[in-house]
Amino acid sequence: MNLRRHRIDPTSPIADRLRRARKGMLARTFATIALAFRMMFHDKPKLVGTTLGVVFAVVLSAQQLGILFGLLQKNTMFVDNAQADIWITPPGTNQLQPGKRLSESILVQARTTPGVATAAPLIYGTGSIQRPWGGSEPLTIIGLELPATADTPLLGGPWNIVAGIRETIALPNGIFLEDARREKMGNVNLGSVREVNGYALTAVGFTWGLLPFGPPYSFVEAKLARAMLEVGPEEQHFVLIEVADGFTSDQVAANLQDRLPDTRVMTKATFHDAIVATLLGEQLGITFGTSTAFGLLIGFIIVALSMFSSVLDNLKEFGTLKAIGATNGDLSRLLIVQSILYATLGSFIGLGMVGFAAEGIRSANLAMIVPIELILATPAIMIALCMVASFLALRRVRKLEPGMVFR
Amino acid sequence: MTQTPLISTTKHLDHQVMTTPAPALAIDAQRIIKRFGTGPLAFQALTDVDFQVARGELVMLVGPSGSGKTTLLSILGCVLRPTSGEVRLFGQDVARLKDSDLPAFRSAVIGFVFQGHNLIASLTARDNIAMISRLRGRSSRQARAEADDLLAQVGLADKRKRRPNELSGGQRQRVAIARALAGDPPLVFADEPTAALDATTGHEVTQLLVELAKVHSSTVVIVTHDNRIFHLADRIVGIEDGRIVEGEIHGVSGAQTQVHQHGVHS
Repeated sequence: MNLRRHRIDPTSPIADRLRRARKGMLARTFATIALAFRMMFHDKPKLVGTTLGVVFAVVLSAQQLGILFGLLQKNTMFVDNAQADIWITPPGTNQLQPGKRLSESILVQARTTPGVATAAPLIYGTGSIQRPWGGSEPLTIIGLELPATADTPLLGGPWNIVAGIRETIALPNGIFLEDARREKMGNVNLGSVREVNGYALTAVGFTWGLLPFGPPYSFVEAKLARAMLEVGPEEQHFVLIEVADGFTSDQVAANLQDRLPDTRVMTKATFHDAIVATLLGEQLGITFGTSTAFGLLIGFIIVALSMFSSVLDNLKEFGTLKAIGATNGDLSRLLIVQSILYATLGSFIGLGMVGFAAEGIRSANLAMIVPIELILATPAIMIALCMVASFLALRRVRKLEPGMVFR
Repeated sequence: MTQTPLISTTKHLDHQVMTTPAPALAIDAQRIIKRFGTGPLAFQALTDVDFQVARGELVMLVGPSGSGKTTLLSILGCVLRPTSGEVRLFGQDVARLKDSDLPAFRSAVIGFVFQGHNLIASLTARDNIAMISRLRGRSSRQARAEADDLLAQVGLADKRKRRPNELSGGQRQRVAIARALAGDPPLVFADEPTAALDATTGHEVTQLLVELAKVHSSTVVIVTHDNRIFHLADRIVGIEDGRIVEGEIHGVSGAQTQVHQHGVHS
């Protein structure tokens, strides 16, 4: 037999009928979509099972990512809120941790660099607050220099202030503490006096939610911080820069880096990214990345198996559809539409659950952050995942011989 | 269309008609061989089968189980390719048609009635029928209007919103017949349409198929070994061991006798 395939003879008496059949792609597509819906919602146990698979994947991965974002935010919150456009840090700095101290000359050179409006020292260290009944609670001590005028940003100063005003930090032996840790710090209130690193300090203000991955932030005036942390009067851990009007952060950072080659100068954004990159490249990224990947993998497997078993259950129907004229393209569209529907349905339910969970566990200690990017990306990722998961089912349908309907 | 019930088997058809792919023939299959598998396990299901059906004719293809009648129907229905031979449907050589053209060809030209109705469980009776028209590119409204009309023709106008599991076996097969006739296909193939039905219902359903096929001017080939419906055929063609069986059949009782001679267990 001559196996050369040929097209339909245009002079055939049925050619017109064939031409008509080939038209109306839109109607075919709508018909396929409608059928995809019907088949999906007809088999309710499978619908529930597959959707739950997607929900599970979404909840597990989005919840893990939400917590990861929360932890990243805890580690970057100071850089994000310190009101500094540029950070001058010791060389090799990737995290907000005290390293080699910066000399006074660096601060002076920074102040005289074009484009610098304000340069302020930041003292950074750890300490502990003594409870009246014994024991202590660790603190992260931030020492900062109050600006000369009230309209100048307080670089490195407290934010989310819930009690007191920022100027009170200049009161002798005044300290801003974290409201969420009041009990742990010995039921401290405004005016309470507590011993911190051997100094009797008075609580002059409270912040809320300034809990990094380590001990809560507390704020004191720079001189006091130097004394408490045994930092010399001409030393600081960081220098914070406010860029003057008419200059960009990148521009001024480049100028500063040229003038201060023995430091690492970073814009706020660069420092933020460096912290995130360091954390993700270390244990945090691996831990959360693995659990997120497992969530997606489990969802993928559930969806793939469920869709494949759905095709196996409905093999006769798919065979019938092929026999009566549905093309592989039609049936592929049908399965793809179903995978998109599963993904969308599961994503919305899953994100709803994650949203509730995020609200439920939100506290100063643990914030699960579900950013808009995650909300938008989740359905897109799940759609892609479900479409790939439908590959097995697609392959089975494409290989299906329409002749099976006669067996 | 051949009007007389005295019909010859394929080899007695006019020679001119057999050798020329004339539009007068709806089906013109020649020297069809179908072999499954290779090597010592190879099985030849059809051997040099010649099979012609005139336009508008209703032919019943009869033979015992395993005789090759469903294989032949599958080849004629363009869901299976012959190993060799030529199959022309309305002059179009379909045996060598491109794979990508076959679904469109089936959709446009052929209506199928399957042994087990094969309705889509998730669709209503109306939507099962309308699906065919929609696959042919017709709008939802047109397709539904046609489906309602066909359901009325098969006496199920009031059952259009029922799903297959809400219908009796006979009603399902009626819906299957309506689906096969959607879009007025010039060819209808039915594979053992009465197999799953009781005698009375089976007869009624076949009678309906025959009547509607005439109304819709469709050429019909029914594979069956149910001798209770032989009298509805214009012509009966026997098949045994993958070969068309020669012989003339006179009327209904003659068909029954002829079939018995060729070993059909009815």
